[in-house]
Amino acid sequence: MFELWQWQQLFSDWRVFAAGLGQTILASGLALVLSLVLGVFMGLFALVPLRALRWLNRVYVEVFQNTPLLVQTFFLYYGLPHAGITLPVLAVGVIALGVYTGAYIAEIVRAGVQAIPKGQYEAAYSQGFGYWATMRHIILPQAIRVALPPLTNQVVNLVKNSQILALIPGYDLMYQADSWTQQTLLYQPGYVTVAVLYLCLTLPLAHLARKLERMLARGRAEEVRPTVARASGSVPA
Amino acid sequence: MKRGSRWLMAGIGVLLALSLTAGCGGGGGGAIAKIKERGYLKVGVKADVLGFGYKNPDTGQFEGLEIDIAKAVAKKIFGDESKVEFTPVTAKTRTGLLDSGDIDMVAATFTITEERKKIVDFSPVYYSDGIQLLVMKDSGIQSLKDMDGKTIGVSKGADTGQRLKDKAQELGITVNTAEYETYPEILTALEAGRVQAMATDGSILKTYQAQDPNTVLLPDKYSEEPYGIATKKGNDDLRDLVADVINEMKQSGELQKLYEKWGLTGGGSS
Repeated sequence: MFELWQWQQLFSDWRVFAAGLGQTILASGLALVLSLVLGVFMGLFALVPLRALRWLNRVYVEVFQNTPLLVQTFFLYYGLPHAGITLPVLAVGVIALGVYTGAYIAEIVRAGVQAIPKGQYEAAYSQGFGYWATMRHIILPQAIRVALPPLTNQVVNLVKNSQILALIPGYDLMYQADSWTQQTLLYQPGYVTVAVLYLCLTLPLAHLARKLERMLARGRAEEVRPTVARASGSVPA
Repeated sequence: MKRGSRWLMAGIGVLLALSLTAGCGGGGGGAIAKIKERGYLKVGVKADVLGFGYKNPDTGQFEGLEIDIAKAVAKKIFGDESKVEFTPVTAKTRTGLLDSGDIDMVAATFTITEERKKIVDFSPVYYSDGIQLLVMKDSGIQSLKDMDGKTIGVSKGADTGQRLKDKAQELGITVNTAEYETYPEILTALEAGRVQAMATDGSILKTYQAQDPNTVLLPDKYSEEPYGIATKKGNDDLRDLVADVINEMKQSGELQKLYEKWGLTGGGSS
């Protein structure tokens, strides 16, 4: 089954895979921006003193975490045109992926902030910081370190989930590979190539995230430790 | 990056090894012996194409021309047409299931092409159909000529899209194609205005025209689609036996009778 001519045919059709890879990168990149914006804002909404915003966060997270991405995508693709709104297929993919992943990122942001001990707030308030200043200068810089590893997972998931585009048909990597392999029936070289290409997208992301983590850890060693030492020194035993 | 690339190489290695083991196995000549030992024939069929392979929701049984042919093959092997197990397949899954040995043969509106002959063995043609277009009644589209710049929904894994693009080029127009997993999805896309025509073999389109009276099936045929039964390369004895069954059914006039039984007008062998 694994003969040379099959690979030769695959390489002579490389444009098919290149086109798909380009579309996957484009859709994932745009969806990532959307999901980060949505995720950070919606995540912080869970923590503000305004009840309406907290409520908005709950509805958003529950709806998009508890319904399948496929259903959300199909709704945008097949459903909306009946209401007179026909979004381009790339927009459908970006919105579906971005909004879905955003719900997970919102939870990570919320959990990251809530992981910071109450003492940090109390220490900040005692030093005269207001709520927003405490968030910006004390809580969020620490929360980012907590949130970064799970955030990386979500980004990698987003890239892999982008193959949802293949079903609507979004001309992404999976779509092009499906089309090519079924045309030629050479599914083994076809899907091995797809797996390798997705790896090429996700491995650098994971690598980058590790680097970022190390950088933040170094920053913590230099800046935060004295703060923590002082803070814990002030807590009565 | 050094560590990353080492992991990448290891990953590729594992994938290659997996594919190699999946690719080997089977082969040899004793396909029929194995089927006899198992006691029944395993056939991949369509579950959603009226007249060819259709799982009747009332009876839960598969029925259609391809089901009857599969039963004839079982009768040839066992002398008993009931010794057959049907597995629903799609254009996407049929070759993989054949390679893995999950099914012995595919009888599922599988068009014979030169490219595919390199990968699987085909029986003689048992039915020949042509690509047609299904459009919305109010679209005013009369034929492929009216599709310039528009999008045609086709089935993933079918050769329909390429054939229509070639035809369009001859007409001096360009059409886009969008591939969907299933026929109902193409019909849904047509109804949602995502595509301006649904294209596949005429006999299949009839099933879907019946489901939506707002659609109309255009009469022109844009290709010749010869259907064959596919068997795995290397299973020569099974390939020859299936060929015998088809040829006998043609000569005895039984195939013609089956066309009438299932209301198929596309026509027989060419």
